Amino acid sequence: MITLESLNRIEAMRYLGCGSTPPDDNTKALLDECELKVLSACQPKYLYKYFDIDTITSSVTLKGCSLVLGGRDIVAHLEGCYGVVIMCATLSGGIDNLIRTLQITDMARAVVANALASVAVEQVCDRVEKLIDMQYNNCYKTFRFSPGYGDLPIDIQKDFLTVLDAPKKIGLCTGATRMLTPIKSVTAIIGLSNNTIGKKKRGCVSCNLKGSCQFRKAGNRCV
Amino acid sequence: MFKEWLEGNKFIILDGAMGTQLQAKGLRLGDVPEALSITHPQLIQDIHRSYVDAGAMVVYTNTFGGNRYKLEGCGYTVQQIIEASVGNAKKACEGTNALVALDIGPIGQLMEPTGSMSFDIAYDIFKEIILAGTGADLIVFETMTDLCEIKAGLLAAKENSSLPVMCTMTFEENKRTFTGCSVSSMAITLEGLGADAIGVNCSLGPDQLYPIVEEMSRWTTLPLVVKPNAGLPDPNSNTYDVTPQEFTHSMVERMAPLGVKIFGGCCGTTPQYIYALSQGLSCVKFIKRNVNVPSAVCSPGNTVIINQPRIIGERINPTGKKLFKEALKNNDIDYILAQGIAQVQAGADILDVNVGLPEIDEKEMMITAVKGLQGVLDVPLQIDSTIPQVLEGALRIYSGKPIVNSVNGEEKSLETVLPLVKKYGAAVVGLTLDKDGIPKTAQGRFDVAKRIVQRANALGIENKDIYIDCLTLTASAEQEGVMETLSALKRVKEELGVRTVLGVSNISFGLPNRELITQTFLTMALQNGLDLPIINPNVDAMTGAVRAYKLLTNIDKNSVDFIAAYNQQDKPRATQQQVQDIDLMYAVENGLKNDGAKIVEEMLKSIDAMEVINSYLIPALDKAGTQFEQGKIFLPQLIQSATVAQACFEVIKKQLILTNSSPVSKGKIVLATVKGDIHDIGKNIVKVLLENYGYTVIDLGRDVEYEAVLNAAKENDVHLVGLSALMTTTLKSMEETIALLKREYPSCKIMVGGAVLTPDYAEKIGADYYCKDAKESVDTAKRVLDL
Repeated sequence: MITLESLNRIEAMRYLGCGSTPPDDNTKALLDECELKVLSACQPKYLYKYFDIDTITSSVTLKGCSLVLGGRDIVAHLEGCYGVVIMCATLSGGIDNLIRTLQITDMARAVVANALASVAVEQVCDRVEKLIDMQYNNCYKTFRFSPGYGDLPIDIQKDFLTVLDAPKKIGLCTGATRMLTPIKSVTAIIGLSNNTIGKKKRGCVSCNLKGSCQFRKAGNRCV
Repeated sequence: MFKEWLEGNKFIILDGAMGTQLQAKGLRLGDVPEALSITHPQLIQDIHRSYVDAGAMVVYTNTFGGNRYKLEGCGYTVQQIIEASVGNAKKACEGTNALVALDIGPIGQLMEPTGSMSFDIAYDIFKEIILAGTGADLIVFETMTDLCEIKAGLLAAKENSSLPVMCTMTFEENKRTFTGCSVSSMAITLEGLGADAIGVNCSLGPDQLYPIVEEMSRWTTLPLVVKPNAGLPDPNSNTYDVTPQEFTHSMVERMAPLGVKIFGGCCGTTPQYIYALSQGLSCVKFIKRNVNVPSAVCSPGNTVIINQPRIIGERINPTGKKLFKEALKNNDIDYILAQGIAQVQAGADILDVNVGLPEIDEKEMMITAVKGLQGVLDVPLQIDSTIPQVLEGALRIYSGKPIVNSVNGEEKSLETVLPLVKKYGAAVVGLTLDKDGIPKTAQGRFDVAKRIVQRANALGIENKDIYIDCLTLTASAEQEGVMETLSALKRVKEELGVRTVLGVSNISFGLPNRELITQTFLTMALQNGLDLPIINPNVDAMTGAVRAYKLLTNIDKNSVDFIAAYNQQDKPRATQQQVQDIDLMYAVENGLKNDGAKIVEEMLKSIDAMEVINSYLIPALDKAGTQFEQGKIFLPQLIQSATVAQACFEVIKKQLILTNSSPVSKGKIVLATVKGDIHDIGKNIVKVLLENYGYTVIDLGRDVEYEAVLNAAKENDVHLVGLSALMTTTLKSMEETIALLKREYPSCKIMVGGAVLTPDYAEKIGADYYCKDAKESVDTAKRVLDL
């Protein structure tokens, strides 16, 4: 079980468009209050599973698994890898309830809680990645690559979750438009390789916000 | 046959896992296991048969995921899969007494509001399975985690089949399902809806499930089902840690003494487990439970036991409330939700919901309100309408066990309302009046109450679910009637053995110092046995009287609740002083909501409303907007400023409505998050800002059909529509909506926004304006509407 003790506020402030400007006292108080709310509403859950890579051609296929990872970007991402860990994580539905209720009573708090919850799910993913690191420690790993990044179609979300049995095991689902529900959830693919992984860093080129990212427009990068 | 088994004195043994067996036979992860029913029928029949040979009296068909959503793209229809699967199970059971259960798992999508699946869609998906599975001997819903989803399934089963239905849900160690459903809520809701047996399956081993089953055994009279996993899985090897012997030991020694009737195995169990289980159970006897389930109502996560006074909040009701009526007419759901949240924060245990207004579609509004309230609050609801169709609309989609308000002694009411109460497993308020009106005497009201109770009992509605209202008359008009109400209440409670409910506020109508009279009457009623006072919980004299009563009658042990309510009470702030020192600009800049509202109240005494808006409020907001654009303040502060302005606008609106002036509006704008998209926080931020610049926003919500946008724009003569989309997959919906608007209503301008949009893309799909943030949408509104 993963329990978060605190949230990365600097990151949350960045999500809120506050850049590196230090928060004023009002905003600080708002962050304090919302952090407590988010921490008590979230119930992090996760799943991951290892698969040997079967073939890498114009898409990636996995052994013992029907999931096909299509597109140039995932093929490039997994180049030289012998296997993948596919993972998913969610803060669970309590966060949806919290944000929904705050939107009725206090929109400023809703916005701050929303940003903090986005940070929280990333922190959960970081912790899951650490567990994966410990378990698969004799290899090099790629960064987390999610459906919807680059040209990896978001349409695979349903099959992705089915393979992990996520709807049944942790209540993480998707629907017709392939959005993840509950809202603060992530799916990702990590490649495992015996060789050092080149400079394929997580970057703007493979991001699904390519072309519309507000940070990028302001001349910043998030990685 | 199954019903006879349920009534008999023997255990019923179910089968074990199907998925585990299929994976052992080489099923690839991600493949559709149900397709094997058609491609490899022998394999499936062999698995069923191995369970029957091991002692299973019921086998579950290979249809856990056999619904139209999960089968999408597998090459077979639901009907083909279900028919083949039932056929396989029947074949495997040939020559034995074993029965076939049509197995139905969760659909695989989350229900509204966290997901986008509506009750009606879920119902339809389940109905399709049930109609295809008529060859089975019973229906079983298993591994369910959402109370509303299993309710849709159970209703679909009851309304489209005569087969018995078992329902099992999956709980975690914290005794909740993923969606927060509690054991008690599940039990009382599903028993009320007519399930034939209920219980738990999956997630945990028998030892971990024990406390959950123990709790459930106290909340239902139905036969109990337990189908645990073979312990907990090892995340790497996917093997389970409980042996068949350990499994059996726990089931026989721990579960059977609880009075569990139906036993089986879930993930990780094999025919060996079922064999051991059937052997083990043959050595012990079934214990018939004798359980007295408390009087209670519930939401999915909150069961309110009516064993002490519980407050029903009365404020969601338009009677005599101009602002509420206005909100209903404008479809302003947020107003209703805010009323609900405020009452719960003030101490309401249950909320009455009445949205009756002649000008609106009451049924549609009731359903929207109930869904909305259940999305933000965890208290049970009391559905309040005089129209049976409205009651039924809400009863269907309500998640949990609600109260119906109300039935009365008139024949027409008795014969239309009580069957609904029974069918949907609700509790009911019975008003002591009939065709002759409200009887003057306590005896007269007692007689009506008795008739209602008898009629309800005859339909199978138990006394614990009947709440009689002896009706409060106004003391100023009928002073001699006050004690009649109270003595009727006392008699009804003592002699009929039902619960009592009473709206108390009427008592003081027309008198000075109403609060004193109402509070005193409330205390008298409590002393006479009132269980459910219907009050305005926001008035502390009322909520406080209930709290004090509970303390003095030793219900609130050690005064815990009373102290919690009053110990930390905020000291009154010296706002009077402060208000004089600050101006509106300062209040808006610093997010001082209450102060801002007070300042505006003062200003309105000497300054015209439009001038307050244009000369004070808008400039203050503009300043915040400019600072936001310059990067001096950020989104939370901008919204806080807007929220102050919102409070100020509320004050202005209230005054204008009270003086019957026309409401102030700088123009109407339709906002919607497009079809398929359920992420609406961005749209809601835009709404707050637009409203606080004086625009009237017609908020269509999220996942909005193309036509709904067009209709709202046309019907309301709106010249600006704002659309938001968050996902690349829903940009298509945005494009379609724009195309429809351009075709059918070309004079209307369209602004768009959302994380994945770019100005180029916005232009490509035909939008008139691209807004990079909420502030830009205000600028756009000004450009389009402020001529």
